Amino acid sequence: MINLHPTAQQLMTYVDGSMEPMMALVVACHVDMCAHCRAKVEQLQLTISDNAFALESQDNVSFGDMMASIMALPAAEPRVRPASPPTLELDGRSFVLPRPLRRFVDKTGNWSHLLGNLWQAPVDIGGGGKAQFIFMEKGGRVPEHTHRGNETTLVIDGEFSDGLGHYDSGDFIHMDGHHVHTPRSDADEGCLVFSVVDKPLHFTSGIARLLNPFSQLFF
Amino acid sequence: MLVGIPLDNQQRRSVQPKDCADEMAHHLKQVAENRCKAAFSQVFGYFAPRLRSFALKQTGNEALAMELVQDTLSNVWQKAHLFNAEKGSPSTWIFTIARNIRYDMLRKQQNRKEDICADDLWPVLCEQTADPNEVEMDEQITLDQLGTLFEALPEKQKVVIEAIYIEGKSQQEVADQLDIPLGTVKSRTRLALQRLKEMLNDHD
Ligand SMILES: [Zn+2]
Repeated sequence: MINLHPTAQQLMTYVDGSMEPMMALVVACHVDMCAHCRAKVEQLQLTISDNAFALESQDNVSFGDMMASIMALPAAEPRVRPASPPTLELDGRSFVLPRPLRRFVDKTGNWSHLLGNLWQAPVDIGGGGKAQFIFMEKGGRVPEHTHRGNETTLVIDGEFSDGLGHYDSGDFIHMDGHHVHTPRSDADEGCLVFSVVDKPLHFTSGIARLLNPFSQLFF
Repeated sequence: MLVGIPLDNQQRRSVQPKDCADEMAHHLKQVAENRCKAAFSQVFGYFAPRLRSFALKQTGNEALAMELVQDTLSNVWQKAHLFNAEKGSPSTWIFTIARNIRYDMLRKQQNRKEDICADDLWPVLCEQTADPNEVEMDEQITLDQLGTLFEALPEKQKVVIEAIYIEGKSQQEVADQLDIPLGTVKSRTRLALQRLKEMLNDHD
């Protein structure tokens, strides 16, 4: 069951277009998985779109031949619904992704096996930070760390805990330099999350601090 | 009435999105079913200047704003069949298209120039499988193993690495503490990381 949602403020900035764009993708995925937030977003969109377009343009702009060049474009092919949506594959398992992520399946790199029973696959979504899928096998853990910037995570499939909370599929988790946590999954099926960070992590305990010189490489 | 601006335009300006929702929905239906250019020009005439104002506010850049207008209205022309009047008004539909394109544009613009992940340090921490389905369970490095490799570093390098990465000191602080030149701290750090990387690479 989904317990953690974006805040009202975050939903607002997502809807009005002013959110940091990598985080906006994570919010879009949560909204796809969460009927509760979807209803809120649809409501906000009604109000915001009418306001955004209420603005009367004072200057008389010429759009040149823009309209003609648009109408020269062919209609989009009627959407042929594939028998099944594109899935993310790992070790013989297939994961159905939230709709906003499906177009990035092709842009997902190979899985890498990291220390601590973790798997990581980078996703090229653009943006100034780093996006990736992380899969924690049962007992898999990320060393204790805090954040130099923002870390936004969506649980796609499974459950995990991090010493601060317990998270289930669909949960939206936003962390920054105020949080120190140690994600780990004890679920038999492990846990798949999608995560974006805008700055490297900072590992905070014991030998894992040796990872810091390399921390821009992952998480 | 201002000179040079057609009356038609003046009147249109004061019409709020919700007051012409039914009319615009009808035009979109014509575009979807008949590729009707007259209907699209009505949609374009109403929304293009409004999209531009919105885009200009968001981007602060005339060229980017025009690109957003063009991409959004191209989507409207090509995907008018996806508009569902029961789910919302034309302005809401067009607004969400514009907003999503804007987020895509921003991510493309910010795409970092150099991709650090691609450089040769990447194999340090992982074994990348050539085939996503191929799993090499034995290749895994544990934190314990990392500790063992660290212990194998030459003493002088270990002291520097420990002070910087485990105790969190700056290179200058380490230089002061050990009473050695900053350049020596830097070179020991570099050598140690290089060595750690080599050891991790052939740990199996
Ligand atoms: Zn929600």
